[in-house]
Amino acid sequence: MKQLKYGIILYIFLILPPVANLLESIMIFHMHTQMPLLVFTGFLIAPFSQKKFAHFFDKWNQSGVPGIVLVILIWSYWQLPRAMDDALTYNVVEYFKFISLPLLVGVPLRDSWKKLKSTGQYIFLIFIFATLVITGFIYIWIDQQICNNYLIIEQQTLGWGSLAMAACLLLYIGYRLFENDEAF
Amino acid sequence: MEQAIDFKGRIKSKLGVNPQDATISLTYFTISFATLLIGGILGLIQGLERAGLYQLPAGFNYYQVLSAHGLLLLVVFTATFTMGYQLANLSHSFDGLLPKVRKMVWIGIVLKLIGVVLSVTTIVLGEASVLYTFYPPLAAHPIFYVGLVFLVLGIWAVSFGVMINYRYWRKQHPSQTTPILAFFAMGVFVLWFFASLGVTIEVFMIIPWVLGWIETINVMVTRTLFWWFGHTLVNIWYLVATSAWYVIVPKIIGGKHFNEKLIRLVIILLVVLNIPGGFHHQIIDPAISISIKFLHVFMSLSIAVPSLMTAFAMFYVLEKAGRNKGGKGLFGWLKKLPWGDVRFLAPMIAMISFIPGGAGGIVNTSNQMNQVIHNTMWVVGHFHITVGVSVVLTFFGICYWLIPHLSKRQLTPRMNKIGVIQTWIWTIGMAIMAGSMHLAGLIGDPRRTSDTTYAGHESALSWLPYEFVFATGATLLMIGVIIQVYAVFNMMFFAPKGTTEFPVAEPEEDQPKVPMWTERWGLWAIVLLAVVAMAYVIPIVDMIVNAPPGSPPIRTW
Ligand code: HEM
Ligand SMILES: [Cu+2]
Repeated sequence: MKQLKYGIILYIFLILPPVANLLESIMIFHMHTQMPLLVFTGFLIAPFSQKKFAHFFDKWNQSGVPGIVLVILIWSYWQLPRAMDDALTYNVVEYFKFISLPLLVGVPLRDSWKKLKSTGQYIFLIFIFATLVITGFIYIWIDQQICNNYLIIEQQTLGWGSLAMAACLLLYIGYRLFENDEAF
Repeated sequence: MEQAIDFKGRIKSKLGVNPQDATISLTYFTISFATLLIGGILGLIQGLERAGLYQLPAGFNYYQVLSAHGLLLLVVFTATFTMGYQLANLSHSFDGLLPKVRKMVWIGIVLKLIGVVLSVTTIVLGEASVLYTFYPPLAAHPIFYVGLVFLVLGIWAVSFGVMINYRYWRKQHPSQTTPILAFFAMGVFVLWFFASLGVTIEVFMIIPWVLGWIETINVMVTRTLFWWFGHTLVNIWYLVATSAWYVIVPKIIGGKHFNEKLIRLVIILLVVLNIPGGFHHQIIDPAISISIKFLHVFMSLSIAVPSLMTAFAMFYVLEKAGRNKGGKGLFGWLKKLPWGDVRFLAPMIAMISFIPGGAGGIVNTSNQMNQVIHNTMWVVGHFHITVGVSVVLTFFGICYWLIPHLSKRQLTPRMNKIGVIQTWIWTIGMAIMAGSMHLAGLIGDPRRTSDTTYAGHESALSWLPYEFVFATGATLLMIGVIIQVYAVFNMMFFAPKGTTEFPVAEPEEDQPKVPMWTERWGLWAIVLLAVVAMAYVIPIVDMIVNAPPGSPPIRTW
């Protein structure tokens, strides 16, 4: 229940207009800070909803695969430059962002994670790695402004940021594969 | 069963030190305190010169002396002390270092010495009066930077050694948690390794530029990389000092250490969040947008969280120990603490001085207030309180048990008294010097300036009285340095033979088991990198893509 409380506090903090505006005013913070933090609030809320809707999760997400597919679909949607642009232009899309990232990404991700075998987890991590690398290179190389709301320099910054995160993720995958320093 | 192993382990380490490891630590302390003596003399010269009481002989200049003072004290004295102390902690926790690691440490010592000799020689020859920050476009002789490369290699050799030893111990003791002092050491060296990456990149940008292979350099990028390292160095000392506050001080006052889970959390937070704090040294720098500076206020203040956790934990431990000894009332417990024991007095004053030090730090990191104090003597006052008292007095306090412990000698009552006197002289000297520096800074006295009379301008003359006070404090401090250096070498070579305890506190009773997830150092390193990536990508991309033409090397002296 402590997690639920922290999750709700963090969520309220993130949707406060000044906080949301500040994070959204910088492209890379929009993509690599606000959105992951929204997913994280879903993570914190997940144990509560798993208990409350245990039956639902058992029935629909027994193997963890449906959940992770949902995660991949919604997360991929938010990787589209157009989606970020729309969130800044239309309130409805902004609300959808605030609802979909915690509830349709964060919660199912936590519910699925333990149910997936480690192969499934690796496939998911490699998928995220691949999106980061691909979008990273696109943003760095393309010399046109692809968002109405962000300048080319911000686009390039986001590209480099994505590559850096991809590198960190790769290190993490390697660390999981070869090293478990906790359990020596 | 686990308890039995633990018990046996403790008995073994009580039996005494590993002589080979003791030599390593004592070698570091020898270098460290020899450096303190030289650095202290240079500090006194600066204090006197600023007050107009002394003129450097022809052929030397103020900036040369200041470069040596900064580099020797900031990079050599503190770093060598840290290594000596942390390696002693590691050896004590693990019952000796691995032979392979010992070799790496010796290689580290040699590399470090080569580095110091190269860099300091160029300063002495007047070829590197670039101050310890060596900001481009100031350009020193190439050898100065080569020396820095060796210094970094020296740090890496020891860091890798510590990591190897730690990993080895974990493999041998799968179900035990690592002793807390070893956990601290791991935090220190992980942070050190990642901190030095920034300055390494910087130095490899500078070397081809001073050699003339490339014409210009991106000044903003080099400054940013410098503070990636410089700021983190500050927090490395702080982490080293807190290792003594959390684990050693409670034992000396007859108490127990605080909840280990919290201690480990503080270490992990300090390691992971640290590096981006470097931007608070660049609040006045152009080319970093206001919104980025604003976001970095949070990064920088986030370090206040583990600091406050430390403050509360320490007061809890101190009060509990004082009350157990019969202290009554709101403050009665304070009287029961062993104020006459230098091993307690020195770190205690260090901790207390962290209160004004931390408050000053919050001033420095706030944009508007920074505009008032930037590049004034306030800043010099600030770091003589934080480094010069909070860190250095903790280090001095450690000497009084660690050095006799390592040299198999005793801490005599007479030496304890000398230590207590030294601690007070140092405290009063720094209070006078740093206090007046703060005040002079507030009315505009610039730092890093040899002559501040500005042709007798009225405001400039108003700084003069404060500068006389600096000189008074500096004289007291010089006396303090001499006593401390005497004490260190006396305890190393001349004190009566015997044994001195290595005071490590035990946890309180009925503490929950320490969670094993805290041991995931690989994961903490990755999180650290991710935090760094997010924090640096915006300003660095901006500085490179929108770069001005860059600057050729400039020699101003
Ligand atoms: C005998 C004791 C000491 C005295 C009298 C002393 C005095 C001074 C003075 C007068 C300055 C020059 C300020 C300026 O012109 O900007 C200075 C700078 C400095 N001191 Fe000390 N100091 C002492 C000990 C220490 C210690 C123990 C440390 C660190 C461990 C330290 C670190 C520094 C640093 C980093 C600078 C700045 C150098 C620069 O601006 O490039 N000092 N000190
Ligand atoms: Cu700093």
